[in-house]
Amino acid sequence: MTLSAHDDLILLVREPIGAGALVKHVRLADDGAVVTFDGCVRNQSHGRKTLYLEYEAYESMAFEKMREIAASLHTLFAIDSVAIAHRLGRLEIGETSVFIAVSAPHRKAAFEACRHAIDTLKKTVPIWKKEFFEDGAVWADGELPPVPAATPAAKPAS
Amino acid sequence: MHTRVLFFGKLKELAGGAEQSIEIGSGATIADLFERFANQAPALASFRSSVVASRNQEFAPWSTVLEPGDEIAFLPPVSGG
Repeated sequence: MTLSAHDDLILLVREPIGAGALVKHVRLADDGAVVTFDGCVRNQSHGRKTLYLEYEAYESMAFEKMREIAASLHTLFAIDSVAIAHRLGRLEIGETSVFIAVSAPHRKAAFEACRHAIDTLKKTVPIWKKEFFEDGAVWADGELPPVPAATPAAKPAS
Repeated sequence: MHTRVLFFGKLKELAGGAEQSIEIGSGATIADLFERFANQAPALASFRSSVVASRNQEFAPWSTVLEPGDEIAFLPPVSGG
């Protein structure tokens, strides 16, 4: 468990995510709303029956990118506190893979910030999902994160 | 110059290992580094357009010049969430 600025809570865990603790963490006395996103393992993918999933991460970088997402929410939205947890390892159908909780004085900012957080996480955090089916396993299709442009100091790609 | 290189997801399987180290000349770029691995594992080469690199845990362009002690990672499209 690590607390960052604004007492945000960022977690990468191999055990089931304790959603209640995350909600409790962000819910402060001056908040009028807590919005949560519970991402869970589906029983099928593109029509194929899923048996289970395995998640892996570039853990140190994933943690930093999740921390950056939480920090950015405070500059983009009028929110109070953020908790983001992602689970790694083997997950069974129905289990929570990612859980996000955002608190705010008013609901609009909390909804928007929570949506922004999961959308950004799926594009920028180095975590990968392998789907296991009855007849094999595949790495899930994903999104290629945006990369900053080359600085003038760097030489052209060969 | 000794460089530590990490592969994740599908790339780990194509490269034949999650963590490798390589000796590479000074002035080499991340693109040069990838090419060295792609020459040894041709399956990697065909994935070049679906790979991003990071240098010391920040996304980095292919033209980034390597520095001693860098940790470079090659990352396939991310699929968390």
